[in-house]
Amino acid sequence: MLQSLPEAMGLIFTFEGMMVLTLGTMLGIILGALPGIGSTVAVAMILPFTLTMSQAPGILLLLAIYAGSVYGGSISAILINTPGTPQSAATCFDGYPMAQRGEAGKALGWATIASVIGGLTSAVVLIFAAPQLAAFALNFGPIETFTLILLGLTCIVSVSEGSLIKGLIAGFIGLFLSTVGGDPITGEARFTFGNFQLIAGFNLLAVVIGVFALSEVLTRAAASRDDAAPLVDFNGIVLPKLHEWKGRVKGLVKSVLIGNGIGILPGTGAATAAFISYAEARRSAPTRANFGKGEPDGLIASEAANNAVTGGALVPTMALGIPGDAITAVMLATLTLHGVTPGIRLMTENPVLMAAIFSGFFVINLMLLPLGMLVSRMAAPILRIKEAYMLVMITLLCTVGVYFVRGNPFDLLVMAIAGVIGFILRRQGYPMAPLVIGMVLGPTLEISLRQGLIITDGSFTAFFVGHPIAGVLAVAAVGMLLLPVFRALRPAKAA
Amino acid sequence: MSGVISERRVVSTILLVLTAGLVLSTFGLQFADLGGAFSPMFFPRIILFILLGLAVANVVIDGLAATDGQPIELLPVVIIGAAFMGYVLLLIPLGYFISSTLVGVVILVALGLRNPVQVLGVPLAASVGLVALFNHVLKMPLPTSPFFWWI
Repeated sequence: MLQSLPEAMGLIFTFEGMMVLTLGTMLGIILGALPGIGSTVAVAMILPFTLTMSQAPGILLLLAIYAGSVYGGSISAILINTPGTPQSAATCFDGYPMAQRGEAGKALGWATIASVIGGLTSAVVLIFAAPQLAAFALNFGPIETFTLILLGLTCIVSVSEGSLIKGLIAGFIGLFLSTVGGDPITGEARFTFGNFQLIAGFNLLAVVIGVFALSEVLTRAAASRDDAAPLVDFNGIVLPKLHEWKGRVKGLVKSVLIGNGIGILPGTGAATAAFISYAEARRSAPTRANFGKGEPDGLIASEAANNAVTGGALVPTMALGIPGDAITAVMLATLTLHGVTPGIRLMTENPVLMAAIFSGFFVINLMLLPLGMLVSRMAAPILRIKEAYMLVMITLLCTVGVYFVRGNPFDLLVMAIAGVIGFILRRQGYPMAPLVIGMVLGPTLEISLRQGLIITDGSFTAFFVGHPIAGVLAVAAVGMLLLPVFRALRPAKAA
Repeated sequence: MSGVISERRVVSTILLVLTAGLVLSTFGLQFADLGGAFSPMFFPRIILFILLGLAVANVVIDGLAATDGQPIELLPVVIIGAAFMGYVLLLIPLGYFISSTLVGVVILVALGLRNPVQVLGVPLAASVGLVALFNHVLKMPLPTSPFFWWI
């Protein structure tokens, strides 16, 4: 493939190629920043336009939208506490508190640099390590996946602000909501109570938008006054200085590795990576006491990991034809629509196209820095408008975003109900992040557990015999759960 | 009495009752059940039993805790909450343009704005802008209004 690189460069560094990459990245950032649109909707929205283009520019345009939208989600997460994409939900935890204390520019600076580094490393992973990593991902059967998801769920403990029990309740409500609809193995309808609309389950985006964005509108309305100040003060991105990185590089590297690793595992995705990375940073960072109060390490963990997933997720998609998440499933469809058959022969049969895609992806991630600064600067005037106007805009945009996912009015009803329930629960101290984590990880947890038990004839102990990866992951999950207990005991012992 | 019945305790009790109801609903259902992990209720039952345990603990904790936090301005929340519901129900019959303008007006009035130009102008501009963007630029049509189908 490396021999085809000069020819591939000829495809990228043309006027058309550069226009596609620049406009695609900008549009991706804007669409990602709009609450409710999200990466999947953004890519699906642009997909029909690429069918009139030739293979390489068409696929590169969608890659630019993909990478741009994952980064763009952080802009609204930081500035208006509404994740533009589910994978940016963890960015809200520290991004918005920073913005509230007048450091929105700095928060976006940290997020931008972390996203660029995460994205660039994922591009390198995609270029050089695709075959090896794809081969390793094949070792992940249902049992390994189950323990990986268990590990992911332990981050509920660390994102449960105030009350652990309320966080766990929210997490288990999320897990329960993920079971509503058709059973993944038998197809039987569960908890639909005669409503045929529920057979497809709750739309994740409708619930996410409801509990985060609409409940935020209600929360603000509950405390709103006409003379309320603008939401946050933002005058453009302030990049972190070199000395400010002291003590943070280790966390960044760890988050990037988590993102790269999780990205290549089919069925996990950027939201999982962001939460696992955030939980790990919260466990191990020297600044962990400040997490949730506006700590840059939290921002770095979330943003580096979710962007580091992008390239990794394309590895099984392209090399094996297995999509890593919903967005790569759309990418898979795109490749097929453009006459490219993903699979093990893809790289040998289309070396120039693959080289163009891989190197184009690297260029896209490089462009995130200047274009991110430019686009987020454009967002500043929007954020200076009256809070009441902003709340109207959030409501209308959320509706559009949720409606376009499936074009189903029932999703809008789910969003509205989730918004009201989210408001009530948030007011009583139930954190909403665990609910979303439960909903995101629930389907994979269920299917992997049941498949694992079917394989082992119902023996749970057989899960860990002959499955070293699962054993290591299970020990890590137990360790993560017990860590808060040890932490709580340590000061008592010292006293 | 108001010292015993607090918002927090009511919410935790409702959660407990709902969870108990859901647990009960998993029994006595007619499935093509092969048993064990094949059962459609295998995983939900595990989740609901754990949730039930947590909900019981939550009721106890909230029962012992001091009552309620700060009061809120309830009227705008009720109006906007009801407006959300009305909005999503009217979106298809009235179309995106009319229903969005209406919900925008209701939100602004509920938040205390009284200047008619602002109250009408902002939702109108936002709706027109979004309809123009999605219907004409992105070519992704929003639900059409029976009166403004030509927009």
